[in-house]
Amino acid sequence: MKRITSARISQLLFLVLFLVLFINTEYRGRDEINGAVNAFFRADPLVAAAYLLAAKAFTWLLLPAVLLLVATALLGRFFCGWICPLGTILDLLGGRFRRRGAPSLFTGNAKYWVLLPLLGAALAGINLAGLLDPLAILVRGLAFSLHPLLGDTTRGAWVGLYRVLGEGRDLLAPGYALIRDHVLPFRETAYPLAFLSALILAGVIGLEGCESRCWCRRLCPLGTLLGLAARFSPFNRRPEKLCADCRACSGLCPTSFDREILQKEECIFCMECAVRCPSARVRFLPGSPLAGEGPLLPQRRVLLGGVIGGLLAARFFRFRDPAAQARVLRPPGVRDEGAFLAACVRCGECMKVCLRSALYPAVLQSGVEGLYTPVLIPRLGYCEYNCTLCGQVCPTGAIPNLPVPAKKREVIGKAVFDRNHCLPFAKKINCIVCEEHCPIPAKAIRSRRVLDTDDQGRQVELLVPYVVDELCNGCGICENVCPVEGKAGIEVFAVKDRTPLREFQGPVPVEKGGDPYG
Amino acid sequence: MERRTFLKLVGLSSLFAEGAFRRLFAAPQPTVAVARGKDYARTTRSALALLGGMKRFVKPGDVVVLKPNMGWDRTPAQAANTHPLVVRALAEEALAAGAKRVKVFDRTCNDERRCYVQSGISDALKGMKGVELKFIENERFRRVPIKGAVLPAWELYDEALSADVFINVPVAKHHGLSRLTLGLKNVMGVMGGNRGSIHRHLDDALADINSVLKSHLTVIDATRILTDHGPQGGSPADVKVMDTVIASTDIVAADAYATTLFGLKPEDIPVTVAAHKRGLGEMNLKRVRIVTA
Repeated sequence: MKRITSARISQLLFLVLFLVLFINTEYRGRDEINGAVNAFFRADPLVAAAYLLAAKAFTWLLLPAVLLLVATALLGRFFCGWICPLGTILDLLGGRFRRRGAPSLFTGNAKYWVLLPLLGAALAGINLAGLLDPLAILVRGLAFSLHPLLGDTTRGAWVGLYRVLGEGRDLLAPGYALIRDHVLPFRETAYPLAFLSALILAGVIGLEGCESRCWCRRLCPLGTLLGLAARFSPFNRRPEKLCADCRACSGLCPTSFDREILQKEECIFCMECAVRCPSARVRFLPGSPLAGEGPLLPQRRVLLGGVIGGLLAARFFRFRDPAAQARVLRPPGVRDEGAFLAACVRCGECMKVCLRSALYPAVLQSGVEGLYTPVLIPRLGYCEYNCTLCGQVCPTGAIPNLPVPAKKREVIGKAVFDRNHCLPFAKKINCIVCEEHCPIPAKAIRSRRVLDTDDQGRQVELLVPYVVDELCNGCGICENVCPVEGKAGIEVFAVKDRTPLREFQGPVPVEKGGDPYG
Repeated sequence: MERRTFLKLVGLSSLFAEGAFRRLFAAPQPTVAVARGKDYARTTRSALALLGGMKRFVKPGDVVVLKPNMGWDRTPAQAANTHPLVVRALAEEALAAGAKRVKVFDRTCNDERRCYVQSGISDALKGMKGVELKFIENERFRRVPIKGAVLPAWELYDEALSADVFINVPVAKHHGLSRLTLGLKNVMGVMGGNRGSIHRHLDDALADINSVLKSHLTVIDATRILTDHGPQGGSPADVKVMDTVIASTDIVAADAYATTLFGLKPEDIPVTVAAHKRGLGEMNLKRVRIVTA
């Protein structure tokens, strides 16, 4: 790291803030989360732009992003040099690389070939911006790979201590509790795409091996978008060019001073050139906007090619396997798949925060277009009845932030018994674990007392379960706790009609049967 | 009298006297203490006092485990979990009796963090020195040979097994399969593994577990009971306020008495019957000394 400047201090503060918010994106003993890492996404103009194009609507949740875009148009790409936590990490680690120079593939219009197809796809209703958004890359890398890895390793050591010390380990428990409660993820969750998420993050960092801030300058779609806005900034560097007698700036500048003139859309306002100018000549002064080299927009063929490429891509990846589709269960409050794909940033926050680790990034079950979108896998976790955390942290409201009573009525899917597996049907054995766990006060799973004959010809009194569709919200706890090994005897399937359940009006009349209190 | 006649007489008479002899030589008649009152902490204390006080069970330096039912993400008013005031009163009494440490835990059904908070028990125990409200840690389960009627062995929680005093603190409530869940069923909270699978022979399985994990004291929270849609309820219509706390060293007797609060007979609850048959306690309330306050 270079010497301390205000930009550096700001970078570190925002990185700390980002990490604190990331850690805080978890249940902490209260129903509401005070601050979550979604604050960063709400200020992310790329997220906002993709949302506007895809959902063709505006949401006040994204107002900070609009403000940041306006600020960028006034001040330039200061976000990248003062705030972006991924940029800070690149600056922190970049010094360790030997630079080889940018590959020709990444120079020129490459960044537009990244940004424009994303926006084109958004126009076609598929919000892929999050796939390459720097904040999302960082959050996913942390949430799916590094944070669980930290948790696994620490907990592994803690368990190892138990094997060695037994109950004596309790002496160290307060120290461990501190780490467990404030740093580690609560559960050991293994995520699909953990490797890919780590790989993408590592790839972005690895680009530092080409040149400093290679990602930010050559590929980052958020940076490119901010760069477009930055062109309007009235602040210009003086002198505009490298001074013939010095040229020190070209070595100091992390981004664009490898050419004669500072590229306004690439300058990240790190102020290195101003602070370290040997002759103290460099100033950033208000002047005429739109100064800088080259046209504002890339050539027409790039512009058209990029957008059309995005539109086509959005169409070409729409295939969905119906069998997998039947099990694509979306978080509570998501009622329409299309609207969800348009609004979801794929930032991974809902999966990070999910209390029961029920949400996982989709690999291919919702098609290529659904990559990284959250899917509930009941066999691994269920939607906790009183929990509304995923809606609270969703930056775009793709998962609506609902009050608890409303969320309880939102339909995720419907549970269906599989009579070939469910014990009372298949084995004539009493079970009802699903009924026991069903959180609906009036019970969406109930059972009839039935006299039956088992395989040995004995008379048995069986509690035979059934689902009351009007009460089932598809939370998945039944499938989660089903004691049948492997495939559960009850499963939740996606439904098109996700109209919320009726408001509970006291106890629903229960079918009179063998119920002792009926 | 001829020797043969004498022997016959003795033999026959012993047949008749069997019951009487048993009562004379077998364990003394179990006592069930029943206390009533709106102040749940005080009610809990008076139930304990009727049994001779906590000092009878807890010796100075003991490690005490309180096993409440806090398996559900429900509030105290919903009667799915043991009332926090009952748990707190027991923890205070244990400390007063000289316990070195009081550990409180349950393997919950809903998310443990939410259960501990929402049950009110986390708040109730906050700041108590020597009291630990702990999450279950998987490494502490240990496979225990049972050689029971249906379970040859099972993973049980080490901290429960190794405690000097294990106090079972269930809440009395309805259950879809076992009809009621009381003390005998509450020990499911220290079972590891796929415990749902024991539902196929719940009665014998629970008797098996209770035969290896003995509750030194059972305190049943019937301050309010869940009469339907158990074990987690959720609707206030299913909750009945009883203001009652039941305590006994005999888990079967405590369960048997609690059953009557629901208008049921002990023999209606198969778990109670199975445990009684195994000699885990007395279910015939006529043979139980019931003391009230």
